[in-house]
Amino acid sequence: MNRTPLLIFGAFLTFGSAWLGLVAYSYVTLGQLQPVADENTGGVNPPPLSGLAVAGQKVYAANGCVYCHSQDIRPRYLSADIAREPEAEPPVRRTVARDYFRDQPAFVGFLRIGPDLANYGLEKRVAAWNDLHRHLYDSREVVSGSIMPSYRYLYKMRKISGQPSNEAVTGLTGPHAPAPGFEVVPTEDAKVLAAYLLSLKRNDPLPEAPVETKE
Amino acid sequence: MTTSARSPQVEKVDASLRLPVLIFFGSAALWLVVGTFLAAVALTKLVWPQFLDGPAFLTYGRIAPAAVNALVYGWASSAGLGIALWLLARLGRAPLNYAVLPVVAGLVWNFGVFLGLLAIIGGYSRSIFLLEFPGFVSAILFVAYLFIAVWGIVLFRNRAAGAVFVSAWYLVAALLWFPGLYFTANALLVWHPVPGPAQAPIGAWFSSGIVNLWLAPIALAAAFYLIPQILGRRLLSYNLSLLGFWSFALFAAWTGMAQLIGGPIPAWMVSVGVVSSILLFIPVLVISINLLGTMQGSYGALRWSPSLLFTVTGAGVFLLAYVQGTLLALPGVAAIFHFTDVLIGHGALLLFGFVSMVFFGAIYYIVPRLTGRDWNGDGLIRWHFWLFVGALGVAYVSLTFGGMVQGFALNDPGVRFASSVGFATPFRLVAVLSALALLLASNIFAHLFFRTMLAVLEETKPLPEAVTV
Repeated sequence: MNRTPLLIFGAFLTFGSAWLGLVAYSYVTLGQLQPVADENTGGVNPPPLSGLAVAGQKVYAANGCVYCHSQDIRPRYLSADIAREPEAEPPVRRTVARDYFRDQPAFVGFLRIGPDLANYGLEKRVAAWNDLHRHLYDSREVVSGSIMPSYRYLYKMRKISGQPSNEAVTGLTGPHAPAPGFEVVPTEDAKVLAAYLLSLKRNDPLPEAPVETKE
Repeated sequence: MTTSARSPQVEKVDASLRLPVLIFFGSAALWLVVGTFLAAVALTKLVWPQFLDGPAFLTYGRIAPAAVNALVYGWASSAGLGIALWLLARLGRAPLNYAVLPVVAGLVWNFGVFLGLLAIIGGYSRSIFLLEFPGFVSAILFVAYLFIAVWGIVLFRNRAAGAVFVSAWYLVAALLWFPGLYFTANALLVWHPVPGPAQAPIGAWFSSGIVNLWLAPIALAAAFYLIPQILGRRLLSYNLSLLGFWSFALFAAWTGMAQLIGGPIPAWMVSVGVVSSILLFIPVLVISINLLGTMQGSYGALRWSPSLLFTVTGAGVFLLAYVQGTLLALPGVAAIFHFTDVLIGHGALLLFGFVSMVFFGAIYYIVPRLTGRDWNGDGLIRWHFWLFVGALGVAYVSLTFGGMVQGFALNDPGVRFASSVGFATPFRLVAVLSALALLLASNIFAHLFFRTMLAVLEETKPLPEAVTV
């Protein structure tokens, strides 16, 4: 093969075909997906994220949560992802492209060194605020054998002056628990991260992703 | 092999490349040590989470991507650029003019990698795999790259008349593909992010492309040059080269989608990924037959040429890693082993076992030709080889087996998630010990390289007549 134009043209053609098929196609189809109206709630699915949750995405990215936690529920015929959450109400379903409409970036993930978080907010939602902060502060005090890093750098330990703060994380145990007279309060980053985690819910009804009925 | 009485033209070519190529190799060697060190720290945290726990900049989610980026952009890409420039110049018997520009661009590239790693560690990453560097850093890398790649293309244009060797096809293609990959992915995911639903397929296209269309072609180019050159014989078959190159170019770009099976992309995209991963077996087999067939009957030469030993091992691992890639793309297999340590083992096999191994072979071959100094053998190169191969082999086997157990546990709804972590831990512990051995091997390589550089700086003698591998 001695003809340079042939080499350059061929390299361009092979690359360009995949570029058109995978990149350009994704952009003009998946990239144009919009939320759909939900007749039951009068809102849209996927629902808008709170401002706190949007800020929390940045903390999630900055600390590399996605290198251990996927947010990707695969269909029942392929995996146990759905079977792992039998209690979820409404039931969980496979995730589809539109589920990531609010995500910037889309944290689909590729490893499960930690559990999948696609529906993390679904299980915990109410009153879990304090548990979540305890978990982030020192996970091994909450889940024995957990290998999650401690995110205590997202919290401030300070001396209680007067009344304890009503934001203080309670029930902390272990080596990093506050000494008597001290309290641990979440920084702004910890608060928005918790808001983001509790917002994670990827089972809203969508036309392309009906909820799979339980067997 | 002795290339005695080298022609003045070859000496002129080598002299023109000395500074830029050695800068690329030297910085690559440093990044290899940094990257392997960070990888060892990250792996350690998986089995001993209290290790260096606490400060933000040492958290796993920052150290792990910093390690991968140091290895891909710092080590493999720098070494690959140096190898590409040298091979294109040598193949075309064309000296590099105005070498100051690629030298400056190479320094800027390294500065960019340094800034990017600081940004990841400092918490400015957007956590998109292999696109963690902030937008202004990837812009610096892109511009630096263009100045280097243009020089590579100019070398190709200035080549002496005659047939274009297969290595040059791979190099020219890789030099053209990388900016296409890097610019597209940064434009759509970093500089001006597209909506979330479109990001997963674009990210998968990019991360598979960095291996298949950037690092792998350079490593294959080096293997296609070194094996026949060191043995002093012709490549097995020109037609196989032609078939291998074009079918690799056609299929390799589409394979990334297979990893998203069951994920948030249209089913046809996954199917295309699976089919192209299976079809990729054809070029992989053709390329391997061509490379290893050239070796046929000459395996004794591995004893006296460390370059050949590294290169041929890398070519063998190429076959192994890509066959595993095909297997991992099969839907039934992917469903179980996606999200597990099997992927980490496979990534290590591609990056260390195939790409790095061939790059080591190329650097061991090229540096004596640039400096006129032999590697002070004293067995350290052998140590580097056996320690590297042994450590990588143990890490790969343990991560693969651990990942398989982990995968079966994850896919059994009766097994708690925490058990999948417990099952994987002993295998990860073995991988930590192997990573430490890998770090030692990388240090031996860097030590050899910089010891030679120091010796070259001390003596200002002109190139001697004979150089040995």
